[in-house]
Amino acid sequence: MTNSPIGSTLNRVDGPDKVTGAARYAGDESPTGLVHGHLVLATIGNGTIRSMDTGAARDHTGVLEIYTPDNPLPLHGVPPGVAFYFSETRRPLSDHEVRYHGQIVGLVIAETPEQARDAAALITVDYERRPANASFRDNVDDAVVPEPTPLPMGLPITILADGVPSIDAALAASPVTVTATYTHPARHHNALEPHAAVATWDGDRLTIHSTTQAPAAHAIELAQAFAVPADHVHVVNPHVGGGFGGKAFTWGPTYLAAAAARRLGRPVKVVPTREQLHTTTGHRSAAHQTVTLGSSADGTLNAIRHLSVTQAIGEDPGTRLTMKAYATENLHVSLRVTTGLNVPTTTILRAPGEETGSFAIECAMDELAIELGLDPIELRTRNHLTHTLSPDPATRLPYSNKHLIECYRLGARRFGWDTRNPAPRSTLATGGWLVGTGMAGAVLNASRAFTAVRVSFRPDGTAAVATSTADLGTGMRTVLAIMGTDSLGIPVDRIRPLIGDSRLPVGPDAVYGAQGSAATATVAPVVRDAAADAVEELINHAVTEPRSPLHGRDGVRYTAGDLTDGATTIGFGDLLTTTGGTDVGATTTSGPVTPPSYAFASHAAHFCEVRVHRLTGEIRVSRMTTVVDAGTIVNEKTARNQIVGGVVWGIGPALFESAHVEPDTGRIANANFADYLVPVNADVPDVDVVFLDHPDTNFSPLGARGLGELGTVGSAAAVANAVHHATGIRVRDLPITPEKLLTTPTGQA
Amino acid sequence: MEDSTESEVSRRGFLARSAAVSAAVTVAGGAVPAGATTPVAAPPGAGPVEVTLRVNGGTHRLRVDPRATLLDTLRERLELTGTKKGCDRGQCGACTVHVDGRRVLSCLTLAASVPNRPVTTIEGLADGDRPHPMQQAFVDCDALQCGFCTPGQVMSAVAVVREGHTGSDEEIREFMSGNLCRCAAYPTIVAAVKQGGGR
Repeated sequence: MTNSPIGSTLNRVDGPDKVTGAARYAGDESPTGLVHGHLVLATIGNGTIRSMDTGAARDHTGVLEIYTPDNPLPLHGVPPGVAFYFSETRRPLSDHEVRYHGQIVGLVIAETPEQARDAAALITVDYERRPANASFRDNVDDAVVPEPTPLPMGLPITILADGVPSIDAALAASPVTVTATYTHPARHHNALEPHAAVATWDGDRLTIHSTTQAPAAHAIELAQAFAVPADHVHVVNPHVGGGFGGKAFTWGPTYLAAAAARRLGRPVKVVPTREQLHTTTGHRSAAHQTVTLGSSADGTLNAIRHLSVTQAIGEDPGTRLTMKAYATENLHVSLRVTTGLNVPTTTILRAPGEETGSFAIECAMDELAIELGLDPIELRTRNHLTHTLSPDPATRLPYSNKHLIECYRLGARRFGWDTRNPAPRSTLATGGWLVGTGMAGAVLNASRAFTAVRVSFRPDGTAAVATSTADLGTGMRTVLAIMGTDSLGIPVDRIRPLIGDSRLPVGPDAVYGAQGSAATATVAPVVRDAAADAVEELINHAVTEPRSPLHGRDGVRYTAGDLTDGATTIGFGDLLTTTGGTDVGATTTSGPVTPPSYAFASHAAHFCEVRVHRLTGEIRVSRMTTVVDAGTIVNEKTARNQIVGGVVWGIGPALFESAHVEPDTGRIANANFADYLVPVNADVPDVDVVFLDHPDTNFSPLGARGLGELGTVGSAAAVANAVHHATGIRVRDLPITPEKLLTTPTGQA
Repeated sequence: MEDSTESEVSRRGFLARSAAVSAAVTVAGGAVPAGATTPVAAPPGAGPVEVTLRVNGGTHRLRVDPRATLLDTLRERLELTGTKKGCDRGQCGACTVHVDGRRVLSCLTLAASVPNRPVTTIEGLADGDRPHPMQQAFVDCDALQCGFCTPGQVMSAVAVVREGHTGSDEEIREFMSGNLCRCAAYPTIVAAVKQGGGR
């Protein structure tokens, strides 16, 4: 019997393919007859296309076709399901209006990438220009209450204690209040792999190698656009070069690749340039949040008011974060959204709402702690949330297996928090470096969906574990291998994880694939159920198949890859070879218990040390400790990597990341990796990650909640709080760039 | 490992050539926006050029577009798709390969500019079925997530060891900072460089 590898530190099973170049990504495909597309983008932020001169481009060697609003490609309807809310609803090239700088206005198809690219540069566009309205900040005051949608976001929520007339009254009655506004710029996923698509049609059937987090949903979205049945679209994505939400939905370049391939009758590859990705695929909304906390003198929160403005309901900090953060008798969260901005489409990005919200709330808690003269951990502990916040007390559920206080305490011990001098600007190290430490808490909703997994035994002695999700670097393949070994008792190298294909099994709730930190929590428990069903099928096969040596026997059981009745024992590979060489297995759908008796969330505590140079304002993150409460850890090695990555996804927004949108044109002036700064190796210290590993068996029998986005929640606040501690300067407008620290700290000469 | 004494170039010379190539690629590469008043015409005499590429020990005689980068030629002509295009501007490092035993950005290197010079890609690093120690170190240390930057990271890591820049974690971080990892597996990349370099 092979021991269960759950909780061990198994090497990533697709590691060897990824370090040798053997792992194939969408853009690596080059089917016979392939032609290449290059996008042409608008160079104005608002206006109408009067005409386009494509003559020189058409004459360019190798050019096959040029699609423009005057020669559009048919794309039907609007994106279905939640894609309607989180992707671009207007089909590319469907009219002559330019709504934002960098909108797709043409697609050149040529025999080679060089020909397509150069021909695209020969196209000229005559525009009727209108002034662009592209400054988020200038539109904050005019933001509006969003239209209601079926999604649980965008709606105001108010909770008031008995007899309290309003949130403002609750705040006015609070002995201590702090209020501040926190702002984020727009930001971009910038996965290293561009949104590549290689589309091939056979009649009205599409095969598309496409980088997507959700092959099944991608197939549905493409089928809608091409008015074909969903099973006529075959999405193949064995490896995905990072997603972060940016590949959860289908974007213009991919639709156009498939549309051009259909029209031309040849395979088409479209890979947008890095600059083009910034506008032709979604990005994260800018955010403007005003948080007011009211507390008693001992730090017990009495009221939280969290007013947010973003570009779309997908970025709703109050609903996503504040409702799950701290206990309070009185609470109000609301969202308003800007309208009519001439900027590209927003979408979800790693921990949408939670990341922005956690920066505001966790910084505000730091500010309140300072106001009260209380340790930030003590303030958080006093306001520990044990039940969900809800306007109707009858619907409040207890949080299941919540160990956030243990995260604080263990993290404090490992980090050395207790020796901290709480006074800001109190530590000056040699070389003129101000040293500061800060902490923050983190909460991420834990969800689990119904999905389907097929487990099948094969004549070659391997077992396939198949489901239609994707591995974006999350370690999903490794999770499936581990769960297969755990369930079937055979070594990991005999498990064949199969993902990255829209034709694999998927449950109705799980078509959106690898997102929401829910993939492992959703898929892993179902592997056990599917494995049990597959074993039953295998035993049935063994006793009913005439050629089986166990034919007609009683009491046949399965153990660690073998079938036996006590007298005869045969491995399943030999059995299936003997009986005719076909696979035997089962497809099983299962999911969470409903209605739930508990609320579920993963939690963490971050501790950060920074060094800020007192003369230059240069900021170096020198240490981080993160303690994670996410239930059972299926594979510590890949989970640790996910948390470290998440934490760095907090360092990035804290210190570097910002789209520089020119207010007058809407042009993103820094749409490249030299100017849109992301953390590099030299920016990242060793990150000390600890998993509490308390299985949450109320959540699933396996007990594993999600954690993919958890590291990102709160980590930017930990950095900002540390910067404040180092310098005495509270920066509420991200990123914290050096010039914001070249000022006199509050209260200092 | 290829002979690195042949066609040795100075770093200054390499940078100058890269800059020239970069400018050429930018002009030819559609950076001139649609709507610009002076479209760039194809330069005169820009027909295909003959070049002999020596890649991973094999020799390939090709007629290439003079605008074709080494990266696109590897990927689209030689089907060596392990080398990745993350930015096509020399800003991300995903396309890192070795030319004359030194790490170069293949997106800023024209194929026609490296005739007969030994090129090693990620596919050429292993010794038959035996992975290069750096490849094994990346697996062992989990120095990757999505894997898209990984070929470039591994090629840089091998070069960093060869360059002698593994004296400390800080030095490794600095000399690996030309290779972006958006998944941010940076701490394990540092660990892998140490293991793979025998430190």
